[in-house]
Amino acid sequence: MHRLRGVKALAVDKLEKRYPTGVEALRGVSLEIKPGELFGLLGPNGAGKSTLIHCTTGLAQPTGGEIQVFGHDAIANYADARQAVGLAPQEPNLDWFLTVAETLDYHAGYFGMPKRERRERTKELLETFSLTEKADERTRTLSGGMKRRLILARAMMHRPRLLILDEPTAGVDVELRLELWHYMQRINQEGTTILLTTHYLEEAEQLCDRIAFINEGRIVGEGTSAQLSARYGVGNLEDAYLALVGRKELSRSHIEVEAEPVS
Amino acid sequence: MNTAQIRFATLWRREVNRFMKIKKQTIGAPLLETFLYISVFGAALGSRIDKLHGIDYVVFVIPGLIMMSFSINSFANNSSSILQQKFQGAIQDQLSSPASPLELLLAFSLGGFVRGLLVAMLTFIAASLLVDLPVDHVLVLIPALFLVGFFFAQLGVLIGVRAEQFDDVAFAQTFILQPLIFLGGVFYSATLLPEPFQTLTHFNPIFYMINLVRYGFVGFTEVSVALSLLALTAATAALFLVNLRLFGRGYRLRA
Repeated sequence: MHRLRGVKALAVDKLEKRYPTGVEALRGVSLEIKPGELFGLLGPNGAGKSTLIHCTTGLAQPTGGEIQVFGHDAIANYADARQAVGLAPQEPNLDWFLTVAETLDYHAGYFGMPKRERRERTKELLETFSLTEKADERTRTLSGGMKRRLILARAMMHRPRLLILDEPTAGVDVELRLELWHYMQRINQEGTTILLTTHYLEEAEQLCDRIAFINEGRIVGEGTSAQLSARYGVGNLEDAYLALVGRKELSRSHIEVEAEPVS
Repeated sequence: MNTAQIRFATLWRREVNRFMKIKKQTIGAPLLETFLYISVFGAALGSRIDKLHGIDYVVFVIPGLIMMSFSINSFANNSSSILQQKFQGAIQDQLSSPASPLELLLAFSLGGFVRGLLVAMLTFIAASLLVDLPVDHVLVLIPALFLVGFFFAQLGVLIGVRAEQFDDVAFAQTFILQPLIFLGGVFYSATLLPEPFQTLTHFNPIFYMINLVRYGFVGFTEVSVALSLLALTAATAALFLVNLRLFGRGYRLRA
């Protein structure tokens, strides 16, 4: 597999996923993310973003192609591949029986982290995500924003080299969104590679080094925001996205702005 | 501990922690239920029945009740735990970890096994306080209880993995497992039944389990101990291998 020579944070080659229902969620997806990149994956609902993430993390089983995480085959050598990945999923998949601190502790345990290190890391991340006061509360009592923080903290617990954030800012308030942006940038600068999926194009534009568009299970464009805009012959990423999904008529440039009445 | 040991210990600890957090429901309720069975069938009804095969009725019944507690709790724990985690999506945290299918299966299995063992031991202690309960064949009793607990722990895992709604688990427990246990001779000897029920009882696998445990305690059995142990070992091993294959394939766990 010539494309996967040289260690990439994530190397996906001709990945296919066909569900038993017959739905083809991924149709030969290939992409590479370099170590240290903050990479954005954009596409409409049902385009295949979450399926790609699930195949990478073992939650879905590919029906063709190959995935490597820092050189480890995600199927044949799944233990090493998964050890390198932290996943913050789109839906808050927290265990209702556990407290906030237990959620972090158990997660780190699943990844083999010794007890003392777990305790220290839990304390550190509770502080980072302003969850210290909630440490002994059961997860089901948390607000939506708090759950989102906890999911991100959990993904970071075992110090993954590749952090996958599946729409981390969906449904959060402006303050938390900006907090998360700052945090993503900080850990990315510290060396963590990030794969971010989002529906907020300004988020991708602001944060990501490179972006890929995925549609109907295929990567249909890849590059920087400027490169993608140029590819679709438009002025910004949003218009490039609208061109991708065939909805150019929705471009903001077509919205007429009413003149302010002069008093 | 190395990485794999920490991982397995955490997976198992999570299962035990889950039922200990709701111990009124998972430990207290089954204990009360067993105590009520002993009171009603043993003390009240037993005073009329007197002896069965030369054994006090209450003493005859208690081994079956211990076996019943072990099996139902092992089963219920694992089927509920897996389904709840699937329902919440929380199982993704374990599934996306480096844990192998074998580690995951063993951890889920042992959660239920420990709960069943705990309830069975407490039942034994409580029963010993009420009646003089012998342990005639400890070398049969221990492997028999171990196999019964592990068999039903595996069955709970299987049903939990297959289940798509809580109704599926309730159906298996209420309409299949409990009738088989009740009709397997917990409260009576099969020899007391008229035909064809006496013969039909021999087609119920739980009849053999109850007899093994009863033999371990009071030395009475209606079936071959060696053959029953062998069949139970084979059935437990087969169920374990089926589950291992399902976990390896990610059946209804991974998309």
